[in-house]
Amino acid sequence: MTDTKQVEEKVTIKGWIALIVLCLMFSGVFKDFDGPLKALDFLNLSGAFGKIGETSHTFIGSGGAGAKEGFVQALSLIPSVAFAVAMIDVVTELGAMKAAVKLFNPILKPMLGIPGECGISFVATFTSSDVGSVMTKEMYDKEEITDKQRSIFAAYQYAGSAVILNTINTQAALLPIVVLAIGPIIVLLFLCKVFGANLVRFVLTLKEKKAGGK
Amino acid sequence: MAEVNNVAVKPIKKSIIEVFMSGAKKGFYIGVEQILPAMILGYVIIQFLKLTGLIDVLSVVFNPIMGVFGLPGESIVVIISAFFSKAAGAASAANLYGEGVLTAAQCTILVMPCMLMGTLVGHFARIILVANVNPKHRGLMLAVPIIDSIVGMIVMRLILLATGLM
Repeated sequence: MTDTKQVEEKVTIKGWIALIVLCLMFSGVFKDFDGPLKALDFLNLSGAFGKIGETSHTFIGSGGAGAKEGFVQALSLIPSVAFAVAMIDVVTELGAMKAAVKLFNPILKPMLGIPGECGISFVATFTSSDVGSVMTKEMYDKEEITDKQRSIFAAYQYAGSAVILNTINTQAALLPIVVLAIGPIIVLLFLCKVFGANLVRFVLTLKEKKAGGK
Repeated sequence: MAEVNNVAVKPIKKSIIEVFMSGAKKGFYIGVEQILPAMILGYVIIQFLKLTGLIDVLSVVFNPIMGVFGLPGESIVVIISAFFSKAAGAASAANLYGEGVLTAAQCTILVMPCMLMGTLVGHFARIILVANVNPKHRGLMLAVPIIDSIVGMIVMRLILLATGLM
């Protein structure tokens, strides 16, 4: 995996800062801050729609139903999604994902029982459903991971798939409603994914032991 | 033609502003091509269930099961929609919140299954089959998102209860 090493070496200070800023933006810690730091919060930067006339309603209005209501609701979500995707692309460009690879490389083995070489595809699965699965297949074909490791890694990817991007995109309708910031929700989803993958790890290890016992 | 030549000669490196703008554009298309259809699906499912009165039946039948997670019976609709698509699940939950059926805290709990077991069949093809997982392990794979969702809902509920947000 010479590729992995090359990428690892290129982690810059800029990449680390970008990663930290993205985490802070989504963490919600600055949401109710007094002073200029509140400009670091994703929801604060997303802003709000104006109210129509003297009513308390935005352009979505009230009392809508069915396909028409779904359409208007979807329209109202587009600004945040466009902004979030733009931010993720910017921090990726600045090298945040490379920093994340460096961060996760050493802990993949204890956390999921898969080799550190999976770091790039592991980080890619934060924002893409498809890159990880293709890379998993390739790594098995090149004999870099075992059959069991392939199943563990695939189980991690399957539940919730691209956990960061999907939370922003698919849960957009719920994000203005939920009582937690998006950051803690993503962390919790991530922990559940790791739990599920370890369940597979546990079951397959148990099976191996049984087979070995015979 | 001159423009085409220019593009080819220029280095591919884009400025941060250009990256932001193309990302925002990508986000716009994600909204129109992926979220909007799922939202219409989610809202039509709920409207259908409401017009037929089926939602009241589902609510009564599933009240005991969903009650384990601190949710009303109607939230089974969210789980069913999420099964087809994560965004449709979220749309159904948002709709029920608007109707006053779900509280904000209950919506927070429902993010867990909407994400973790959302698009269950679609992603089985996109991830498990593409990764070419050993066919012997595939049944286990299918169980993982469902177990994750149950654990996620319970943990989220406990967190909300512990922090006083519910």
